[in-house]
Amino acid sequence: MDELELISRSKDGDVDAFNLLVEQYQRLVYNLALRMLGNAEAAEDASQDTFLSAYKAIGKFRGGSFKAWVLRIAANSCHDKLRVSRRYRIVSLDTLLLETDDLPQANNTESPEDYALRRELGRFLNEGLSHLPEDQRLVVILSDVQGLSYEEVAQVTASSLGTVKSRLNRGRTRLRDFLLQREELLPSKFRLNK
Amino acid sequence: MFRVKGSRPCRKVRGLLSEYIDNSLSSEDKSFFEQHIQTCDGCSKELESLRMTVQLLHRVPEAPVPRSFAVTAPERRRERAFAPPAGLRWLRPATAIIAVALVVLLAGDFSHAFVNNAGVNTGGSNATYVQLVPTSAAEQQTMVTVPGVMGQMSLATAKAVGYTNYNVLPPSPPSEVATQPVPVPSVRGDLGGAGAGFVAQQGSEAGVGWPLRQTEIGLGAVVVVLLTLMVFARRQVKGKVTVK
Repeated sequence: MDELELISRSKDGDVDAFNLLVEQYQRLVYNLALRMLGNAEAAEDASQDTFLSAYKAIGKFRGGSFKAWVLRIAANSCHDKLRVSRRYRIVSLDTLLLETDDLPQANNTESPEDYALRRELGRFLNEGLSHLPEDQRLVVILSDVQGLSYEEVAQVTASSLGTVKSRLNRGRTRLRDFLLQREELLPSKFRLNK
Repeated sequence: MFRVKGSRPCRKVRGLLSEYIDNSLSSEDKSFFEQHIQTCDGCSKELESLRMTVQLLHRVPEAPVPRSFAVTAPERRRERAFAPPAGLRWLRPATAIIAVALVVLLAGDFSHAFVNNAGVNTGGSNATYVQLVPTSAAEQQTMVTVPGVMGQMSLATAKAVGYTNYNVLPPSPPSEVATQPVPVPSVRGDLGGAGAGFVAQQGSEAGVGWPLRQTEIGLGAVVVVLLTLMVFARRQVKGKVTVK
């Protein structure tokens, strides 16, 4: 069953069809929330809110990219949580380390050393992302972590292409500066100034 | 750390770094960018460090989902029973329309907008509107009959009601004047002493008959019922929602 069929059935009240969509997008939504909020528990809450809101509003979905539509709801949910509690913005290294502890190994060929490095990198980048302003963080995550096109990012953020490009440039530059400032903490393999 | 310093071309190039990395520059900008990078060491380093940052971001590991966020079927049924779907979707607009109609009626009623120029309450409110119409002594004393109306009435009353077709009766002795009940909508009053006076004219019976006051009360009751329904429905929807 393709996505359009699932959406159509969901609009008709087919909960199983809707849950197939949830299954398809929950990883994307959860990871966006995790990077935005920097906290696993808050990310779970935001993901849950996202799918409940999507489920209530599925009748209002008028076509286009369903992925962008769901991610927009997720971004709004994260924004609400950030507004309510600023404590999610600054995340301790311990928390991030805990969150990346259970990362699955990419494949059987990944050595324990590479796995450890990848985990360390994830922790470091998460901290860097948490230091970006919210609008820049959202655009950087969507574009560089989740691989959305400029057009899709513009849909998710309800902004123009020019704004997306500008935020992305500023966000990347800021993150780069953060990494350079703490380069001695970064695994040597990933240092920017080799 | 690199700062945006240097010449004007450097500032322009640094504004295009991201788009160059994403290969989304126009051919003109790309040509300018590449020419500048070949000759500017600062911008070249800036490009490389930013490119590495983007490559690192591409390698950010994806976290596994801790649990399913699927919506449960009972929740779905409960939502469908009380929320937007068919059942109560009409509630809000219907309540709004009726409430607006009620407000318009009340405003018109209080401002006498339903009363015509002749002093007749076309809105039909029975007891609230009375207009005193000045009459002459001769019109009060002259009795007439109106075709289709039982009994007699004074000429003043006939005119006040709006009858134009009437028969004037000959004068009768003072003791017999107009003692019969007159089935017309006026109440006579001698407010002017001997001679000239007024006819107190009640609106509804003389005007067009639709029950304004009853309509207002009815609409008010409907609005209250609809609002109660809305509050009830909202409480149901606001109940805690869970996922699997």
